[in-house]
Amino acid sequence: MSFSEELALSLLDRGLTLGAKYVEVRFQDDYGYGVSLRNNKLMSVGVTRTRGVGIRVIVDGSLGFAATNSLSIEDLYKAVDKAFTRAKATARLRKNPIEFSEEKPGRAKYRVVEKEQLMDFKIEDAISTLSGIYKSVEGEIKEAKLVSMVESLSVHIQEKMIMTSEGGYVESRIPRLFISIGSTLIYGGRSIQRFKEFGASGGWELIDEWRPEQVVLSDLKNLEKVLVKGTAPPSDKVDVVLGPEVVGLIAHESSGHPMEADRILGREAAQAGESYVKPEMIGRRKIGNQHATVIEDPTIPGSYGFYLYDDECIRARPRYLYKEGLINEPLHNRHTAWIFKTSSNGAARAMNYALEPIIRMSNTYIAPGDLSFEELIEDIELGIYVKSYMEWNIDDARWNQRYVGLEAYVIRGGELAEPVLNPVLEFTTEWFYSNIVGKDRNLEFHPRTCGKGEPSQGVPVWFGGPNVRLGKMRVGVLK
Amino acid sequence: MSELSGVLLKAQMGKFDEVSVLVEENHRVMVKLWNTEPSVAQSWLETNIHLRLAKSGRLWVLSYEARDPVYILKHAENLLKIADRVEQSELYAPLPEPGVCKPLSGVYDGKVESYMEDPSGLIGEIIDSSISQGVDRVAGALTLTKSKITLVNSRGFECEEYKTSVEAYARAFKGDYSGHWAYGQTGVNIQAIREVGRKAGYYASITSKRVDVSPGEYRVAVSPLVVGNLFNYLSFMSSALYVLIGFSVFAKYRPGEKIGSENVSLYDKPRDTMLPGARGFDDEGVETFDKPIIEHGVVKNILHNTGTASKMQAKSTGNAGWIYPSPWNLEIASGDLKEEEIPSALGSGLIILNNWYTRLQNYYEGYFSTVSRDMALLVKNGEIEGHVGRVRIATSFPRLLNNVIGVSRERYDISWWEVRTPTRAPFMILENIQVTKPEV
Repeated sequence: MSFSEELALSLLDRGLTLGAKYVEVRFQDDYGYGVSLRNNKLMSVGVTRTRGVGIRVIVDGSLGFAATNSLSIEDLYKAVDKAFTRAKATARLRKNPIEFSEEKPGRAKYRVVEKEQLMDFKIEDAISTLSGIYKSVEGEIKEAKLVSMVESLSVHIQEKMIMTSEGGYVESRIPRLFISIGSTLIYGGRSIQRFKEFGASGGWELIDEWRPEQVVLSDLKNLEKVLVKGTAPPSDKVDVVLGPEVVGLIAHESSGHPMEADRILGREAAQAGESYVKPEMIGRRKIGNQHATVIEDPTIPGSYGFYLYDDECIRARPRYLYKEGLINEPLHNRHTAWIFKTSSNGAARAMNYALEPIIRMSNTYIAPGDLSFEELIEDIELGIYVKSYMEWNIDDARWNQRYVGLEAYVIRGGELAEPVLNPVLEFTTEWFYSNIVGKDRNLEFHPRTCGKGEPSQGVPVWFGGPNVRLGKMRVGVLK
Repeated sequence: MSELSGVLLKAQMGKFDEVSVLVEENHRVMVKLWNTEPSVAQSWLETNIHLRLAKSGRLWVLSYEARDPVYILKHAENLLKIADRVEQSELYAPLPEPGVCKPLSGVYDGKVESYMEDPSGLIGEIIDSSISQGVDRVAGALTLTKSKITLVNSRGFECEEYKTSVEAYARAFKGDYSGHWAYGQTGVNIQAIREVGRKAGYYASITSKRVDVSPGEYRVAVSPLVVGNLFNYLSFMSSALYVLIGFSVFAKYRPGEKIGSENVSLYDKPRDTMLPGARGFDDEGVETFDKPIIEHGVVKNILHNTGTASKMQAKSTGNAGWIYPSPWNLEIASGDLKEEEIPSALGSGLIILNNWYTRLQNYYEGYFSTVSRDMALLVKNGEIEGHVGRVRIATSFPRLLNNVIGVSRERYDISWWEVRTPTRAPFMILENIQVTKPEV
């Protein structure tokens, strides 16, 4: 890092001298590179760097944010001044002053260790990794036709140095690796498309751990069977079992997002929406049964959403969003914590220097059970198992949601049977969490980029869970 | 040529076969609203630098939101060292003959700059016009941008363009009901900004009655916000790169083939100086031009840069993106329905005034669903019965486009969180559209 502590201190001083009640200076450097291939042919190599300073101030109860990627002292002072003057200009429109909860700010330095350095600029290795995945699949899809495979691999190093006028100081370095494989299979007049993703914090050693060649091959061979042999799902109400990828997505969408306190309070009302959760429901309202425990934990080592201190210098910890069905603990930053008269639980994240820290998820999952998968489905006479998905959405209150399966099977006599094409599941948040009848012990995580905020910022997250068995429901078909 | 772009161009010439330098200088102010007051006032002073470097068919794209030429030059040196060990890019094509530099005029409004210093007056207009409709609270955002873009390349193209833009959107709440409206243009139009608040408030209070609706096929009228969102998705898929990788409905429906009804025409309009995506030249220095993507239901063009055009034996459409061609501004053709006649023209069905979370099951076939937000109205015999709550349109793009039976005369310049490519959009009436919601 070339941004010094002295420089940060001088910016804090300038903000305080102008009259700000609170000043926060975040130097952030996001850099890396990526390659993309189409059908094993190189499309592009890209190198990116986003590096600058984001400054927040509170003045007259108004919050101001300014960012610049010039590190000259003049431009940095100008950014402090802009944050201050524009916050002050809009202060007269405020009715409720912005305040932060009282906290003991963190002072720490930490970094995720890469066993094999990502920035050794292994572009040839990156291409070779993706090429290996394509080659592993190419000759193996025999009945359907693999008409396209678009692959990308990206390396992202995120370095932050944050100082606050209240004594917070956090320096961090988090390296991340991400692979995405998008495939199109065609058979007869039908087609199926799939994105398979791998992501975590760490170094090149993650490739060995992920075994992407085997995983993608297995995934696509299964999808080939679905495409060639898949039929419509049973039309009667049946038991439904969802795989960890689908369960994780549901946890993210219907417990993570509605439990973001800024969303509960309406700060994202005109963008990502609000929440069915109202402040008075917290700690009182049951949304599910005893199986419905959802955990949000930034501190999982090696996770894609890993961090130890948030961007307000608050120490991270696991949060139990839903606890045995009870709406339990929202994700807070210092502002929402102040409104809720509690303490921040360290959920403020910014994806680059130019974006304000807002409440974000990290790694969200449904707590696993203790059954094996075989035990989970053994007494199902007729059901459906949905292992992966493509289309999904949820309303802006996080209540009414839809998931369309990709790899899916009929369960018959307690065993997986014939494949099912495009099963459609629609339910409410309360129905899902109230109708969990069993969970196995196979906790899996999947990486995604979660979008929120204005300007929109995509942050790396994991979501996950075990295989989850639900009560009976009618499964729809794609029309 | 700016000093920075000149330094970078000179430094790389001779080392690489081709060099392009694109520098964006942005000054932006955004005020976000929640509960009828600002949540944050944000300001940005940014210089973003992008380089396209080519050597022996190898193609590199470097993107820096950082003012650090030394770092950039070091990266370029590293790339040069490994150039021979990396295969050629299948999307490489030589930079085109440089066009004449003809930056657009009429895309810079000095008033934007003055409002950037104190945007509270414009924010007040949005709040007041919304509250005047009797709503409880309003949220939204106002963004004012002043930008300069400079492109130089080793073929001798050199041009810069100055532009301003204004994006305003509001979501008003009355009890459990809400309404939304949006606006995006290159200049400040106070009346249109007031209209953002007024229309959001009007739609939030258009009914106070809740009615039920069963899943099934309906005739559905969709607002310009919904049209803008859905046609944004459609236009992304019109990028030749998405066609090449198969994640596009235009990989199945090729130019010359019918994908929709006579009523559907979609244009890429970079020369429309009212819309904020206006651009006189693309990232390869090709002069932009307006073009149909779909005209009267027939696919006319997919969007190319020189790389995709070379790969697909076509010509650049002036839509570079060095890797991804993309649309600049979208315009959907108007029809002859009057906006106030939408309920009567619909007869019986639903009016969906806003949507979000559009996701596709299959880009090649175009299967998608999207969820309503804000008012979704049940209409019987031309009369509004009430709000049906949050429902979902679940269909495919070809089906939707083929089922357009009416288009409004009035169009609106829409730009907001769910419509990122500025779009001039009408109301549309669609028939036989699958509407779903959970039955458990």
